[in-house]
Amino acid sequence: MNLQNLPVVTKEGTRNDHSIMVYALSTCGFCKRALAFLDANQFAYKYLFVDLIPIDVKNGIKQELKERFKENVAFPFAVIDDKKYLIGFIEADWRLTLQV
Amino acid sequence: MTNYKTIEQTTIFTQMVANKQGWDLNPDKAFYDTLVEGLMKNYNRYGYFLCPCRDTEGSREADKLAICPCVWAKPDIAEYGHCYCALYLSKEFVAAGKTPKAIPDRRFEEA
Repeated sequence: MNLQNLPVVTKEGTRNDHSIMVYALSTCGFCKRALAFLDANQFAYKYLFVDLIPIDVKNGIKQELKERFKENVAFPFAVIDDKKYLIGFIEADWRLTLQV
Repeated sequence: MTNYKTIEQTTIFTQMVANKQGWDLNPDKAFYDTLVEGLMKNYNRYGYFLCPCRDTEGSREADKLAICPCVWAKPDIAEYGHCYCALYLSKEFVAAGKTPKAIPDRRFEEA
């Protein structure tokens, strides 16, 4: 995934045991909650608000995620360690996957 | 300007929808405020109240099923107790003190 020149935000954190990339909407309550969860648990992670980038770029990212993970893309969509993924924010699932 | 909504106008819109449908608005104030801001932002950039938890397909025609209240709100509230973005909740869900969580997006079932 080429995310160069996109407004990807890098958050610092004391937990670096996973690489976490979150695709989110700036308008969505569950996306906000997911990012707050990562903050609260001191994870280092990156996120991109896909509603704030050109739609053709967004569609390219969605297509790539869909092909790679064989899933419809809904938000938040988190890619963990470049191989696992989480769709939507269900705290119990995020805790399990991220070993919180 | 008619093609611009304020937080107050957006709040009133959600209240009117909830009243008409017999739903409650999300009682979590911070969560509700995020959604109202999101709805307002969507209206002011797209011209319609696109669901704050769904991304635009590029036009009102393509987004029409996801314009708030979306066509899936009723079945979602019936099945899960709240709509996809959790702006609207059933009165029973609220009375039981339950907390909304992410549910599957029925938009994909239409495709």
